[in-house]
Order: sequence, then structure tokens, then C-alpha cells
Amino acid sequence: MHESWSPFSFIVTNLARFVRPHEVTFSGVNSTLPMLACLLAKRAYDFEFTYINVAGGVDPQPSSIPISSSDPVLAEGSRSIFSNEDFYDLCTRGEMDLCFLGAAQVDGLGQTNVSSIGDWHNPKVRLPGGGGGAVMLPTARRAVTWRTEHSRRTMVEKLDFLTAAGGMAGVVTPIAVFVKRDGRLALQSWHPESSLDEVRARTAFTFDAEGAGPAEPPTERERDALRSLDPTGTFERDAGVRLRPEAAA
Amino acid sequence: MSTSKIIPLGELTSLVANGSSLALGGSFLHRGPFAFVRELIRQGKRDLEIIKQSPGYDIDILCRAGCVRRTRAGIVAMEGNFGLAPYYRKAVEKKEIELEEHACASLTAGLRASAFGVPFQPCGGLHGSALPELNGWQKVADPYGTGEAVYVIPRITPDFAVIHANEVSPEGDVRVFGTSHWDRIMSRSAKRVLVIAERVASSESFASQPELTLIPHFLVDAVAVVPRGAWPGSCWPHYEVDYPAVEAYLPDGADVLAAHLAAAPEAQEAAHA
Repeated sequence: MHESWSPFSFIVTNLARFVRPHEVTFSGVNSTLPMLACLLAKRAYDFEFTYINVAGGVDPQPSSIPISSSDPVLAEGSRSIFSNEDFYDLCTRGEMDLCFLGAAQVDGLGQTNVSSIGDWHNPKVRLPGGGGGAVMLPTARRAVTWRTEHSRRTMVEKLDFLTAAGGMAGVVTPIAVFVKRDGRLALQSWHPESSLDEVRARTAFTFDAEGAGPAEPPTERERDALRSLDPTGTFERDAGVRLRPEAAA
Repeated sequence: MSTSKIIPLGELTSLVANGSSLALGGSFLHRGPFAFVRELIRQGKRDLEIIKQSPGYDIDILCRAGCVRRTRAGIVAMEGNFGLAPYYRKAVEKKEIELEEHACASLTAGLRASAFGVPFQPCGGLHGSALPELNGWQKVADPYGTGEAVYVIPRITPDFAVIHANEVSPEGDVRVFGTSHWDRIMSRSAKRVLVIAERVASSESFASQPELTLIPHFLVDAVAVVPRGAWPGSCWPHYEVDYPAVEAYLPDGADVLAAHLAAAPEAQEAAHA
């Protein structure tokens, strides 16, 4: 019997599974789960890849895992500092293989809104802004995003504002993994405790689900790696990811 | 003999007139010129324009204190589990400040235009985004005929770049440890450069390894030495983020802001002087 797969682990593990051998992979600011995914991939997978991050680290050996994904500890053990201008230029000249970019809303093309809920000029909520998104999403070879909430207000038919186009190669939520197929997001897998029907019900855009099935449970090495990164469960508690919103009282 | 550029923080901050545009170094909670930012508040500065790819605590506290008229930024958040920057968010939603939303790299492009001495600078990406239309950014065809089109960002010349550094020489040479974030391009694009540093290192130590110097003294107008000046943020490798202090800063109330300002290292130093 498997212990149940926490939605936190589901997101981190499935983000890590986008990392490929011998590629350059980047995690940025405000990106705790991708940071954990990159570090998990380093510990759980046998292949080599280059992990760069917004703290300037290049394959760092951090002595601790920071709360802030831009913490300078993420450059510890790095033999060079690859600073902000460097990794943006790397991306725009087409040499960034995989980067993780945040999103508040994602549409069926994998485009994102990170700017505002409601009209940009009269926002209901002013969001952080896209940071790298508008430049990196169209220029990275592959970009992947995550949402800790999977709902019709985050997985939308129409974005409130189009911060970044170009289309995500992957989207991971507590219940689903989407990949880009023929220019649109297609369902690749769902959380074993979820279902295709649930993903459809909680997604406002239409998507192809051909060949999709329950996601492969984490391997022992993936589990061990995540446990070693978050031995006290602090990151999991702070992330507060749930499979489903709590039923109204 | 060159003269020392080291002056007290208050004097350095008073060089900034109301309405100035300030490029602030660092990123989110890391190595930002936060003692300087708090001193802007103590001196009651108004109508500032804040330019930074990834501001957080700095833009938030300046909005909270009513010092800001406008900001140009790529991504704004407190980070480290604190999420959105609440006072900044309120200021934008209530239209108390004007936002020019950038991608981080488009802001860098504008700064590069200034540093390079040209009126605009091409910036990769941006295709399909609504930001170019929002900001009136033009797309130009490659005049050399490759058929590529590229967005060009107008020059951004801050009145001041303000950097928090690890070490300075008395003459104003600047060294930072770890990533330099966008500090280098800020120092080359602004009309004047102000530096707050953790400590002074000898001119000889700078001369022994000049390649470690991020900003040479002749670009720097003034320096203030403020140990722990990036509090409540980090300054690698001297200290980490003071998360309880950030948490204590967040609740509403003038008394909360006053207590936060009073607890800052530069205020404690002044109280004991």
C-alpha cells in the first residue's frame, strides 16, 4: 500500500520530472516549489544537468534550504556567479532549456496573467507582475509553471491580462499535469486520488486528454530526496497546498 | 590624496530632493539599501519614483509612508512566504501611485540604453504580451534585413542609483559579495551613485584585487557606512533575512511602522551614539 501522495509532493515531484539530462534549468524569485524541484532532481536523478538560479548560483551546494528562493545561500558552493543580466541574456539568445515561471492565471494556450485580477487599470487585485515572464516565456526552449490552486478562476478560458505569451510547455497543479501539444495545453496525468472528470470540472479551458492517466507515484528516490530537502515538513506546511478546497462550513 | 566620500547616512539621504527617481539595488529581501529607504521616510521625502526590477520591502514601506509617486518595476512581492507586498498593492489599487509595469529585462534594457548612451535599447522576448501596448513600446524591423522584429525600450536614466554594498574604500570603490543582482547596470545608468556599505576596507585591499570591484570610486558621489543596513533583509555573507522583523512590520497601524523604524539598526546606532 502506498502512503497517500500529498499534493505538495505531487507538485514538486512533477515539476522535477520536467528536468532533462544535460540541459540548463533555471529557478527564479518567488519560486519555492521549483527551487525544491531542481534540488530534488539533483538528488533523485542519475543524469547531469546544470541548475542555475536567481541568486547567481551555478550548480550550488547550499548548506541549508532557504525559505526565499532568491536567498544568497543558493549560491553557496557555486564556482561562479551568473547574475541576473546573465541569465536573462542567456534566455533571450535561445540557450535556456527550461525555466520555471510563476502565474496567477493560465489559459488553454499556456499563456499567463501575473499582473492583475480585473482590469489592469482598475484592478480588483494588483498582482506581483510577471518578472521574467514576458521575456522568458517566449524565448526559453521550454517554460513550466505551477499553481497551488486548481480552479476555474486560475485555469481560465480568458486571462484578465496577458502578461506573458509564448505558451507553457508544462503546468503542474495539485491534481494535474498538463503539457503542450499542438500549441495547446493537453492533460498528461492526474493525481491518483483525482480523476479526469474532476480535472475537467475544475478547469475553465477545454483540453485534450488523449493518453492521459493517473500520474506515476513518486519513486523511492524522489520521496527520499524531497524528505531530505524538507525533513521537518516546514515547506509543506508553509505551502499549504490542498487537493481540494475545503467544503464550505 | 583623494578625500574620503564617507558621510553620515542622514547627510547622504539629504542629497535626494523630493521628486527624484531612484534605482534601488538588490532584489526582494536581499542586499537592498534599506537603511537609506527608512531614512527617506524619516526625512519626509515625497513624490519619489522608484525604479527596480524586483522591489519588495523597499517599495512597500515607501508606499506605506506616502513617499512614492510612481514606480517602474518587473515583479513586486515580499517573498519568503509573505506573498504580495500589501501597502504597495493598496497604493496601486487606490491609484495613489502610478505603476509602469515592466518585465525585469525590459527595465534592464531601458537602463542599458542610458548606460550605453543611446535613446533606446532592443529587448528580446515580449512578443504576444500586452505589456508593450500598455507602455507604448515600439517594435522595429531589423534594419539589416534578417526579417526579425524586436521591441525597443526607451532610455531610463535614474537621478540616483542607490546600492547596498559589502565593502567600500574611503574613496568610494564598491565591492559586493555573491550576486550583484542589477546593481552594476544601475550604477552605469544613473546620473549619480550613492552607496551604503557594511564596512570600510582599505584602499590597498581594493588595489590588490581590482577585478572584485563592482563600481569604481569616480562613479560614486557619496558613501555611508551602516552595519546591518540591509536589515530586515539579508546581506550575504554577514547576515540572513530577519523573518520575525518582517512579520512584525506587516500589521496595520502607524505605531507598527514607528516601532519598525525605531528598531532598525541605523536608529539603534543613533540612539546609542
